[in-house]
Amino acid sequence: MAALFILVPFILLLILNLPFKFLKAPVAFWLSAALFLTQPLLVLIHPWFAWSNYPAALSRFLIFKLWLDPLALIMLFTIGIVVFVSLLVAKSTITTERRSFNFINLLLVSFIGMNATVLAADIFSLYVFVEITAVAVFVLMAIEKNRFAIEGTFKYLVLSMFASIFILTSIAFFILAAGEISFAGIHNAFLVNSNIILLNFAVALFLCGLFIKCGVVPFHGWVPDAYSEAQSAVSVLLAGIATKITGVYVLMRLFSSVFVLKDSFHNLIMLIGIISIVFAALAAFRQNNIKRMLSYSSISQVGYIVLAIGCATPLAILGAVLHFFNHAIFKSLLFVNAASLEKKFGSTDMSIITGLGNQLPVTSGTWLVGLLSTAGIPPLSGFWSKLIIIIALFNAQRFTYGWIALLASVLTLAYFLFMERNVFFIKTEAAPGDKGGVPFSLKFCEILLAAITIGVGLGFPFILNSQIFQLKGFLH
Amino acid sequence: MIETFLLLLIVLPLISGVLSLILPRGWRGVCAVAASLANFLFAVYLFKKESIFVLPWAGFGIDFSLRLNHFSGFIILAASFFGLLISLYSLNFLKGKDSQRQFYTYLLISISFVNGAVLANNLVVLLFFWEALLLTQYGMIAIGGRQAFKTATKALIISGAADLCMMAGVILTGYLAKTLIISDISLSLNPLGSLAFILLAAGAISKAGSIPFHTWIPDAAEAAPLPFMAFFPAAIEKLLGIYFLARITLDIFKLNTNSMLSSLLMIIGALTILIAVMMALIQKDYKKLLSYHAISQVGYMILGIGTCLPAGIIGGIFHMINHALYKCGLFLTGGSVEKQTGTTDLAKLGGLSSSMPVTFICFLITAASISGVWPFNGFFSKELIYDAALERGKVFYLAAILGSFFTAASFLKLGHTAFLGKAGQKYKEAPVLMLIPMVILALTCVIFGVFNRLPINNFIQPILGAGAHGHDFSGMPDNFMLVIVTIIVLLAAFLHHFIAVRINGGAIKAAEHIHRAPVLSIIYLWAEKKYFDPYEMGIKLIDKIAKIFWRIDRGIDWVYGSLVTNLTFALSRTIHKIQAGYYIIYVIWSLAGAFLVILFVLR
Repeated sequence: MAALFILVPFILLLILNLPFKFLKAPVAFWLSAALFLTQPLLVLIHPWFAWSNYPAALSRFLIFKLWLDPLALIMLFTIGIVVFVSLLVAKSTITTERRSFNFINLLLVSFIGMNATVLAADIFSLYVFVEITAVAVFVLMAIEKNRFAIEGTFKYLVLSMFASIFILTSIAFFILAAGEISFAGIHNAFLVNSNIILLNFAVALFLCGLFIKCGVVPFHGWVPDAYSEAQSAVSVLLAGIATKITGVYVLMRLFSSVFVLKDSFHNLIMLIGIISIVFAALAAFRQNNIKRMLSYSSISQVGYIVLAIGCATPLAILGAVLHFFNHAIFKSLLFVNAASLEKKFGSTDMSIITGLGNQLPVTSGTWLVGLLSTAGIPPLSGFWSKLIIIIALFNAQRFTYGWIALLASVLTLAYFLFMERNVFFIKTEAAPGDKGGVPFSLKFCEILLAAITIGVGLGFPFILNSQIFQLKGFLH
Repeated sequence: MIETFLLLLIVLPLISGVLSLILPRGWRGVCAVAASLANFLFAVYLFKKESIFVLPWAGFGIDFSLRLNHFSGFIILAASFFGLLISLYSLNFLKGKDSQRQFYTYLLISISFVNGAVLANNLVVLLFFWEALLLTQYGMIAIGGRQAFKTATKALIISGAADLCMMAGVILTGYLAKTLIISDISLSLNPLGSLAFILLAAGAISKAGSIPFHTWIPDAAEAAPLPFMAFFPAAIEKLLGIYFLARITLDIFKLNTNSMLSSLLMIIGALTILIAVMMALIQKDYKKLLSYHAISQVGYMILGIGTCLPAGIIGGIFHMINHALYKCGLFLTGGSVEKQTGTTDLAKLGGLSSSMPVTFICFLITAASISGVWPFNGFFSKELIYDAALERGKVFYLAAILGSFFTAASFLKLGHTAFLGKAGQKYKEAPVLMLIPMVILALTCVIFGVFNRLPINNFIQPILGAGAHGHDFSGMPDNFMLVIVTIIVLLAAFLHHFIAVRINGGAIKAAEHIHRAPVLSIIYLWAEKKYFDPYEMGIKLIDKIAKIFWRIDRGIDWVYGSLVTNLTFALSRTIHKIQAGYYIIYVIWSLAGAFLVILFVLR
């Protein structure tokens, strides 16, 4: 059954590209919107074990094995929501019919890539699907034909290429050392403890590649340009889910349940995580563009997830998974807000749109929800995941990391509130370059994502216990 | 049955808060008053009952557990009482303002969170409700107008930083005690335990508004709507903060008089009293003056609890409830003045006693209470604190009594300027709905003073349980010397005021000689420039650090943005040059490659 997550979008992609006249952007939009929205709903309705027994006939279409567990289910849920939001944003920001059609096609490709990445059960298909996602995203970014977008794409492309080289080399070493590419085989190779030096070398290479893909400090050079120069819909896709799946999810999957690591690796990952948190939070202070500031905040939040992955106790991994989900939701929300501002005023530069935010009640309200959740204020979702990560750090006796992670929360709160004040509350004399109202589809996204943030925050403990995601089951 | 009511205390205000956002204009106030009245009745019903209620929640030791005992029941009762009065008062005060709808929503949701925080028997549940109050606090300040957003941000960051201390304390306590259930925790004060205590206490005293977490309160007095000031900093924040401080000193850590931490609390208390009252003395705005006193009085409570003596603890908790009564009342008189005259600037006010007699009488009673005049409630709680402070050290007693002197002096100045003197204009008395809460508060001040046995024996002494050693703390103080000193100090304040008015020329200038005193004038100047405000200083510091990090970031960006791309271009140019189309070069390349391969194989 899990194969459906890959096959159905693939078939839709094929159908959309049949040479029929009526297959234009509107049809493509409605079909893919329905598909994207079905995925989270299906995940909600059927618990994870319902997916794992699938008829053999289906698997014949795929040459690789699938692996579905509660972690993958949460990822599928998140992917569905964020891609859906990205599609809605594109609907109101991309105007020409041709471009819109191309966008939807590429979005479907990246959707397939991400779903397959989540479901892959061996390290090589994982790599292939990461690359498929990345290539689709490169093209999406470059659709916007301005100089800065191309420059941002180019930076991402070059660094991503390095990452690919690292990862591919590392896979070669895995094959050399373990003789297998399946997760289970590699895991066994670690347990047997033969060729351990080669394995560690391979892990180190893989880690370098993943750090670039995650965009953590000091491998983050591409992130601000890529996130802020791409057009709004791509920013949502990229910041919300694409780089998180290709980088953070892979890190989470491999380093929590496949690789068996030395302590020095854990320490390294945690160090990189904490550096990202503090460094990016401080760098965010001096940004004048909302989207750039959000990019730095994204780096900082990814730092929390990476830190928790490095800590590697069950509770910490739980925190990492939850923060992954929460971050995907509230960061998408904030980027949709930025898209609304851009749509309304034609810019996201804080010096241009200062004080104009309060013309948009829905945007400013949901904006506040998003940033307070980022800063970890209850009763919003971000509070719980941050709290769990910090509790886990303390329980693992990593006090220094715990303290720094705590203190960095104040920084997060501070830079966001400065931005809040600049954009929404300072009175300005300058006449705004009003480009018309905010379209309904953007408002709908804002309300949807804010509702998820508040709902998860209030009902969080029950979600943790729910049968659907079985997060506690995943830990043992 | 009791469990249902416990849940209702949290759920009902929350639902009605959301409801009052949706309801049409006329029904909002009714909804708010009805909900807070129901909340008050529940609290009355639950008072003096005991119950524990546990609901499975997040797992990992985090359960939704509530505990009703005497202390939490008492705090719930007090908080719901103030919630009811404020929602009544706001009916008229915020009438016709756009902010009314949001205000009621925030008010009701705050009540729900306060109930949750007080009842919580799990540290994480406590933290959840405690920190969630930041949201409503932000909202309530922010609806005050355009300038209010800056203050709201400041308040959110200061309180947020303190709440992070508390979060760290909760995590550390949970780590040390191996459980998060508050009633099961009992820790010793070893170094790590002391750290946990300090972190939790930082959260508690910052909620109560003590130094150094106080700087947003005077700013909020100017910017935020007045009912917020009367409800948050004057009443429920004190209730919550001091409640939690008492819980950690009495239950979780069992502080005793030999502890360094006890002295630390007392020093913070004494400093808070003196610094804030000195600032209050020179204020020229009705609300701002009151806000500094809201800080200064917290000092007495922290001092009282910090003594770790039964008299001090009972005095501290009694002072907490007294303070909430009279400070809430004082802010409400300020609100009446603001509503009727349109200003709270003392320079523009004068002679209001003839046109607003009820407000004036309420002001007189509450001002006498805060100054500690017999037989009002403030007198009795202050005497208990003096008694304990004197036992722990003369310095602390001196600080407390000096604080009383300046408190009395500044209220003489305030009352004299606003209500006496010559009347400029004729104003009307405030509407009845605004008078009722003021009169109730003033009456309660008198009752709690004259019949102080009633609150002390019913509400406060049972909290200490066996710790009181059967001693009855109500009635006149045992040590009669204290009373005599207090009377002398109050008389001195009275005398000082009239001499100062004569010399400085005018009631509003009654504190000018202190303001202009040699050393003090410089300190006051610095204070006005906000040199002592950790928030403003912190912002400047962070800005500088951020600048440095931004430079480093540019450097890294250059490495990736210029170095890597230029290197790639340079490389591709070189390759382009090599690929010039000469076959001979390709042949040489291939041969060299083949040679290397063979070399590698043969090796």
